[in-house]
Amino acid sequence: MNPVALSLYLHFPFCLSKCSYCNFNSYAGMERLIPDYLGAMEKEILLWKMFAREYSSQSSFHEEFQVETVYFGGGTPSLLQPEQIAYVIERCRAFPFAVAPEITLEANPGTVQEKFFARIRRAGVNRLSLGAQSFNDGCLKLLGRIHSANEAREAFLCARKAGFDNINMDLIYALPGQTMPCWQNTLEEALRLHPEHLSLYSLTLEEGTPLAGWVKAGLLPLPDGDLAADMYLLAEEILDREGYSHYEISNWAVPGKECRHNLAYWKNTSYLGVGAGAHSFLFGHRFAGVSSPQEYVEKLSALERLPPSFLEVGGEKSHLDFVEGADVEREMSDTVIMGLRLQEGIDLASFAGRFQRELLPAYRQEIEELVELGLLDADEKGIRLSGRGKLLGNEVFMRFLPPNSTGSALS
Amino acid sequence: MGQNQIRNFCIIAHIDHGKSTLADRLLEQTGTILKRAMQKQVLDQMELERERGITIKAKAVRMPWLAPDGKVYQLNLIDTPGHVDFTYEVSRSLTAVEGALLVVDASQGIQAQTLANAYAALEHNLYLIPVINKIDLTNARTEEVSREIESVFGFNREEIICISAKEGKGTDKILNAIIRHIPPPAGSKNSPLKALIFDSKYDSYKGVIAFIRVIDGVIKNGENLRLMSNDIIFESLEIGIFSPEMDALTSLQAGEVGYVATGLKNVTDCHVGDTITTVINPAFQPLSGYREAKPMVFAGLYPIESNEYPALRDALDKLKLSDASISYEPESSTALGFGFRCKFLGLLHMDIVQERLEREYGLRLLVTAPNVAYKVIKRDGSTILVDNPAKLPPPQEISEMQEPWLSATIITPDRYIGPVMELLSQYRGRFERLDYLSGNGETEASFSWKQVSVKFTLSMGMLLANFYDQLKSATQGYASLDYTPSGYQTGHLVKLDILVNGQQVDALSRIVPSGIASSEGRILVDKLRALIPRQLFDVAIQAAVGGKVIARETVKALRKNVLAKCYGGDVSRKRKLLEKQAEGKKRLKRIGQVEIPQEAFMAVLKKNNA
Repeated sequence: MNPVALSLYLHFPFCLSKCSYCNFNSYAGMERLIPDYLGAMEKEILLWKMFAREYSSQSSFHEEFQVETVYFGGGTPSLLQPEQIAYVIERCRAFPFAVAPEITLEANPGTVQEKFFARIRRAGVNRLSLGAQSFNDGCLKLLGRIHSANEAREAFLCARKAGFDNINMDLIYALPGQTMPCWQNTLEEALRLHPEHLSLYSLTLEEGTPLAGWVKAGLLPLPDGDLAADMYLLAEEILDREGYSHYEISNWAVPGKECRHNLAYWKNTSYLGVGAGAHSFLFGHRFAGVSSPQEYVEKLSALERLPPSFLEVGGEKSHLDFVEGADVEREMSDTVIMGLRLQEGIDLASFAGRFQRELLPAYRQEIEELVELGLLDADEKGIRLSGRGKLLGNEVFMRFLPPNSTGSALS
Repeated sequence: MGQNQIRNFCIIAHIDHGKSTLADRLLEQTGTILKRAMQKQVLDQMELERERGITIKAKAVRMPWLAPDGKVYQLNLIDTPGHVDFTYEVSRSLTAVEGALLVVDASQGIQAQTLANAYAALEHNLYLIPVINKIDLTNARTEEVSREIESVFGFNREEIICISAKEGKGTDKILNAIIRHIPPPAGSKNSPLKALIFDSKYDSYKGVIAFIRVIDGVIKNGENLRLMSNDIIFESLEIGIFSPEMDALTSLQAGEVGYVATGLKNVTDCHVGDTITTVINPAFQPLSGYREAKPMVFAGLYPIESNEYPALRDALDKLKLSDASISYEPESSTALGFGFRCKFLGLLHMDIVQERLEREYGLRLLVTAPNVAYKVIKRDGSTILVDNPAKLPPPQEISEMQEPWLSATIITPDRYIGPVMELLSQYRGRFERLDYLSGNGETEASFSWKQVSVKFTLSMGMLLANFYDQLKSATQGYASLDYTPSGYQTGHLVKLDILVNGQQVDALSRIVPSGIASSEGRILVDKLRALIPRQLFDVAIQAAVGGKVIARETVKALRKNVLAKCYGGDVSRKRKLLEKQAEGKKRLKRIGQVEIPQEAFMAVLKKNNA
């Protein structure tokens, strides 16, 4: 039996301070919890390992996992000591690792020094994702980042010096009041460093964040959707000229340096999330742990075993607070919606191979309408977003939603 | 008690001049209601009436009064609606009495409804007792107002009674004046029965209860009676008076006011203004002046939640039991779904019906821009009445269109003459004359506060286009307005259609004077452009008259709607966001390919946007 590729996501919900736009599951001022939290994660990895073995032997899945990617996300995983990072990677080896796994760590330029990069590289981290966000200090202030443009530049160069040859940079555009020249400058500054990968995110004003509050109160202008579209097109043009491939709606990479971990999400393959609020897709189920780090630590310390039946029945003592049972209709829908984010789109043959069902007859009307609207390209090999469709992805995706899907919150 | 110890009277006043408060004082003073049991404004029984300070339905109450001459008199007060929408009801109430208290607010002076109602009372040969109320107010202008009353109605200063109903000051003088000056009812109790219906209400046990004034003869309990307009026969289940609760008696005779429970199930059978007589010994001639209430204003009523359509139908059916003057029929609109085309006496009536439906039946409603009924003379010579713009025949079939006009009076402090004149020209009113209420304006220079009456004519359609609100804002709330229909006049009228990507939006069509069609069209198109969400393609919004586009705007195609990232593999969150967007789309109304939120229609149809 061929092993099944597994991606591991490790969530570190600790930050020095909360950014103004951020509504992720992250907390400032909780650093004292880190040792206990790492202990809980170690335990969770082992419990899942045992669970996977038992579940495979009792169900139709019979899966042997092999870890292809590990991703330290946050929060600010770069707050950890290199030794702690090395320790967690070792614990992940409870699952067998593939020959050349991709091991990514998200780093905040405001938290790192040169020797940190060298040491995590020795620990096995081979890809960095640098949260630069902008090369304009005004924008960085507005976003509540704890670093300057210069510090981001320095952090990048340190990482290079330490030997990292696969670095991503996150940039945010369409900030309130941001102009086109300002965005172009940020892009050019980033390109001067020659990162292997760029994630460009249009700002989403998340309810409850300070930034959204300022806009709501009229202190800041509402970001302009048309300008955001123009910024996107500008980035597309510049990055294309620089030889990057636009392989996903918000992601560009030097060919061969696409993020393997995120590809697992977009191709809707198995991933296991470990840590507070981390999301998983395993054995056809989607589930997530409790969000509060404190509660996560408490639940894990009380947890002895994850019985094979527990994804189906939940259970009082579980550390999960969300489970969606396996559902083929929904999995098909998720596969299309996530897959369409990729430049390559959905390959008809692999879709049919995975679901024993043809894509075209299942969504004929939707596909015809979207092709008509110029949002989707379709040929004998597959379907993919058109150039215009990339900016109107939601209009496409919502037509592929399952008839009625429901997630259940465990009480 | 003899007929000459009966006094029937009503109170006429402009809104808020203190009619209900005065009625309360009279009830107290005659001992009809004990002071401590008094709920403020006893006669305004509807919650809405108390809140708005207006009387919607006529009421009647009997008050016994021991006069200084040692005799006990029977005083019947009929409280009349004070608003122009209910002119006909007012005129029926005036027929039921011999005199009226003409109440004028000491701070505001004579207002448009004061004049209109006073003239109506004089037409009915009522004896008027002038009363200046609210003399306790710091801004009372008792002297000026007194001059106005003398000048406009020709009273002597000594005849005017100055009171503060709120403080109970001077109200005793009113009771004595009523007895001294208002004549006792004429009519004979030996003649065949003639009882005038001046209002009705529905009671689920006793059926329709008719409020009556017995003009001639006697009405008795258990007697077979006949409505003279439609020959409907019923047995009087109960006869009585309001004191102010219903008190059953065995009979009422000529000159008396009270009620008869008819057992009829339908208020529309029991018309205000109709005459009741006996089956056995009937009168030959009904009382004159009966006519059916005539709707003047028409609008579509739609539930905001389409599943509330049956609830709206039930609510209208129930409302009709107590308000015979509304009528409605089902109608459907591509933009608004299923609703009702309703006929109202006027704008206030429309407001009241909407508010009662929302308040008493918990419905949320959308009301389309109100319109009048147009007379359309077709090329084939036939004439039709069109009360729904959507039903106007195509222009090539129309030879002439006529619209209802009003003869109107505005009363305003003279410093607002300028703004009022400007408003009149803006609304295409035709000025007729201007008069100072307190005689010639120039010679009364000693008064800083002078009021004028401006007489003019105006098309009713223009009145519906927010005229009253504009008048109020042009005069800082000081002006008052009254009007009566003055017949139909030929007009240059066109149907203004709104098209979204070539599809006509029925609910937004309206009939307007051709001279303002393009400015109206521009306003509507601009408004819609801001309200229609961007679609996946450009959307043209056009205003057209007879197929010719007179204004156009484009809603540019949506360019960006995409979720930026996937937070740590949280696919279900992403799916929920998409589901929310998809759910939002489901609630949109489709005009052709274009999806428009109902709120957009509501914003365009909102009254102050009409």
